[in-house]
Amino acid sequence: MEQVLSLVNYSLSILFILLCLGLILFYFFSGRNRPKINLRDIQAFHHIRREVDLAVESGNRLHISLGRGNINDLQGGAAFIGLTILDRCAREASNSDRPPMTSSGDGVLTILSQDTLQSTYRSLAAEQRYDPTNARLTGLTPLAYAAGAIPIIHDEHVSANFFAGHLGTEIALLTEAGERSRSLTVAGTDSIHAQAVLYATSDEPLLGEELYAAGAYLGAGPMHIASLRMQDSLRWVLIAAIVIGAILKLLGILP
Amino acid sequence: MKKILPISNAIIAVISGVLVLLGYFFPGVFGNIQSILIGWAIILAAFALLLGIFNLALVHWKKAGSDGPNRIYSIVLLISLFFTIIVVSISGPSGSASLWIFNSFQVPVEISLLAVLAVVLVFAGARLLSRRPKWYTVLFLITVLIVLLGSVPLFFLGEVAPLIVVRNWLAQVPAVAGARGLLLGVALGTVATGLRILMGMDRPYGG
Repeated sequence: MEQVLSLVNYSLSILFILLCLGLILFYFFSGRNRPKINLRDIQAFHHIRREVDLAVESGNRLHISLGRGNINDLQGGAAFIGLTILDRCAREASNSDRPPMTSSGDGVLTILSQDTLQSTYRSLAAEQRYDPTNARLTGLTPLAYAAGAIPIIHDEHVSANFFAGHLGTEIALLTEAGERSRSLTVAGTDSIHAQAVLYATSDEPLLGEELYAAGAYLGAGPMHIASLRMQDSLRWVLIAAIVIGAILKLLGILP
Repeated sequence: MKKILPISNAIIAVISGVLVLLGYFFPGVFGNIQSILIGWAIILAAFALLLGIFNLALVHWKKAGSDGPNRIYSIVLLISLFFTIIVVSISGPSGSASLWIFNSFQVPVEISLLAVLAVVLVFAGARLLSRRPKWYTVLFLITVLIVLLGSVPLFFLGEVAPLIVVRNWLAQVPAVAGARGLLLGVALGTVATGLRILMGMDRPYGG
């Protein structure tokens, strides 16, 4: 019996992955010839775009925090979005006097952020602008990470902070540092507890799946838009399934 | 070479990712290769950690050599790092000297930061109405207040039964429903991110 259940579980998982893959490819190919796709208005992404432009003009720096998620784990997903934001910010601010700076609480993320910065500058033929010390490991425990990232916000002429990665409630210390140094904070994380804290402490919190839409909103390419449309479609399916399940339960049809 | 390296990086990453994913679904066929690849990833992550610590030391070495007002903190960090590496190398990670460093410095400092965090959260809650003067902010603050009052015995009144009932309902029904909704969104986003990387469309490894 256990083997049958396990087989059903594996089969459903594979089907779900294939469905997601199929939907992404469908939206990617069907959306290629569409001139413009309207996305829901999310203020945080307007602010990111505006702050990148302002930082270039005023000679200030952007700080992108990738959190402390381990990429061998589920927590790494949010950090990959942080790397996408880093890539977009580094491209937009490539002619700024002060290039963007990243902080992370994991060795692999530090290397990946250095690699992202280097490959972005290389693709812009501006490799001389790459400085490995602009991608920093600031601490390995949650509070050590926060304590190490606070001086970046205070001392490095930062005009805006983008937090995108796995962060816990310690994020309040970082958003407070942003508030004190009068820099904007846009923040999203995969942690439910941190999202509650962000609602109270961040200028522009990204809740739930909003963080994962960053690539589509910041112009990272049609594949990001396709995957966002896949998420939207499946979310409606999940909502329908939950509502139908609740009704069936209410009627006593489901045990 | 500059063009070949990113392509080969992408091919290696995509093949490794697909093999690890298949290892979850077909453990009998791909289980061994999945274990080998994850083992390699763990070893590489350990080396990445060493490089990260080297990066940390390099940043503070530069800061310590500058004329900035906060250079003293970087000097303290470098001395502490050097001292800790020496002690842990001699005493071992679970040796008494290593544990003494951890219990005497790391734990008290982190607990102090937790206390600061509590104060920061109280101030943030108080500032929230001026930051976001909306009806749902009022709802958020009222909910926080009810949950707080329902979680602890009150002065002179002790435990107030209706508050505890409301608090339990808030924690078990709306909070769980909201958290599950957010988690479903996060899960869909994580799957989408993973698939983009597996397709080689997102290349966070310099590809």
